[in-house]
Amino acid sequence: MLNYLIKRLLWMIPMLIGISLISFFIMHLAPGDITASESAFNPKASEESRQKLRALYNLDKPLMTQYSLWLKRIVKLDFGNSFASHQRPVLWETKDAKGNVSKGMIQDALPITLMINLIGLLVIFALSIFLGVVSAVNQNRWPDRLITIIVFVGFAIPGFWLALLLMYWTGVTHSWLPISGLHSAGYEKMSHIAQYVDLFKHLILPVSISSLGGLASISLYVRNGMLDILQQDFITTARAKGLPENKVIYGHALRNTLLPLITIIGLSIPGLIGGSVIGESIFAISGMGKLFFDAVLMRDFPVVMGILTIGSVLTLFGNLIADIGYAWADPRIRRGISN
Amino acid sequence: MKNLTQNPLALSGLIIIVTVLFVAIFAPWLSPYDPNYIDIHSILLPPSYSHFMGTDGLGRDVFSRMLHGSRISLLVGFVAVGIATLIGTFLGAIAGFYRGYIDSIIMRFVDIMLSIPTFFLILAVIAFLTPSIWNIMIVIGLTSWMGVTRLVRAEFLSLRNREFILAAEAMGASDYRLIYKHLLPNSLTPIIVSSVLGIASAVLTESGLSFLGLGVQAPQSSWGNILTDGKEYIQFAWWLSLFPGLAILVTVLGYNLLGEGLRDLLDPKNKNQKK
Repeated sequence: MLNYLIKRLLWMIPMLIGISLISFFIMHLAPGDITASESAFNPKASEESRQKLRALYNLDKPLMTQYSLWLKRIVKLDFGNSFASHQRPVLWETKDAKGNVSKGMIQDALPITLMINLIGLLVIFALSIFLGVVSAVNQNRWPDRLITIIVFVGFAIPGFWLALLLMYWTGVTHSWLPISGLHSAGYEKMSHIAQYVDLFKHLILPVSISSLGGLASISLYVRNGMLDILQQDFITTARAKGLPENKVIYGHALRNTLLPLITIIGLSIPGLIGGSVIGESIFAISGMGKLFFDAVLMRDFPVVMGILTIGSVLTLFGNLIADIGYAWADPRIRRGISN
Repeated sequence: MKNLTQNPLALSGLIIIVTVLFVAIFAPWLSPYDPNYIDIHSILLPPSYSHFMGTDGLGRDVFSRMLHGSRISLLVGFVAVGIATLIGTFLGAIAGFYRGYIDSIIMRFVDIMLSIPTFFLILAVIAFLTPSIWNIMIVIGLTSWMGVTRLVRAEFLSLRNREFILAAEAMGASDYRLIYKHLLPNSLTPIIVSSVLGIASAVLTESGLSFLGLGVQAPQSSWGNILTDGKEYIQFAWWLSLFPGLAILVTVLGYNLLGEGLRDLLDPKNKNQKK
């Protein structure tokens, strides 16, 4: 097991280099550079000040040199500062000479996106296991048909469209739910309980939208997995020895169906992070997705590359944790690894 | 084909897709108005007999714009998936056929591409290049081939040592012949299924990009950008938001139903599940 862990961790090094190479060169596909868009906002910018800017960010050096300078910095977790006028650090807070602390952009945004997606994953898990089991146990009867239809519609519905309709219906027509941001005005002055209630209300719509796609695919997965396993010999044995059907379904079949889910969750991380762009833009939530979208429009290279890198690193770690969790939960896999 | 008509899900998927195809091909003849004709005397009219789906903020007929928009989602779906399938099949075939270090290199590259959040990658490239329909199709294609590569490789690995392949090899068939005449035709099922499902997700991605303003640019209409325009008027012109969303939903549903139906029909492993 330890050998396996070390091997997996070592594999991440070439993966990380590959990821950094791809994200770095994609950023430089663009015609024009940051100096062009910055001077467009400021007509007084002279050619000389543009040159200075290029020198400051090494944009005047050859691509490979730029890349190695960048790589040297990110190994030390230094993702630089934003090109935007506030010049905040991309990753983590720094202190300047006067002792003023400026908070990192990803430091601010990541917890928000993680919170929404983790709550979303819990919702997905709870609901899709329920839907999948009901569907499998009632195979080809009306509950199964109904759930299958819901699942297919869930796959096909554009999240941003549903978000728009829900926002209009629950927020504008009926004023049941707040439709943007994470906190109401006056959040700081509320009691603790009121703060949680306020946050909860703000989270309902974004979490529902972000868990939609996963809900559909995982309940379909649970259904098909259950159907597969219910046909296996050990289920027949369990039934033959007179176990109540409840125990057969939940004790034997469901437990075996859920094992591979650990891996699937690991694989769904990049989709969840990527999917946060549209949801966060619609609901005006300043998480990773919105930060990335704004940075892309501004051609804010350090922020774009920082988020691409951090997002990919998160994915790699997510997959690693999923694989370890799988090995921990399933003795067959564990034995396969140590042999 | 006979079996396809007996599977109600696949059949309804096929009907939807054929309808969308028909609408897209004959859009200019089916449209009652010029989709880009701006009429300031009929701004934001609700649906009626003269405008089935009402008019938008510039007085353009939404029904005609929807019909023309179907061409965009069809084009994006087919071209993007065409690119992804070509790259995916090529790399997967090479990896599965030659195995060894070529396989390792290709599959590690797949792993790397899979760990970069795809939508971030697409967004970055689109925003850096100019957003145009061709850029969108190419970028979606270049970021969605990894699944096909894995499928084709797995299929090739399992076929590689079958007797009919070994026999062909012993008779002196070239690598090219082995791959194109023997291995590929026997791996078509998963490729077809994943292509059909891939079109569904390409259509969704394109509409998402258009919604963010990075997709198909005005005056060309796509379902995504009709929806974006409609967002501004959602309080008093529901028809601008409802119809394009429904169109995307139904089209994507069609591809998904057809894809899953084909999987059930063509995949012998699934037979024991279906009665």
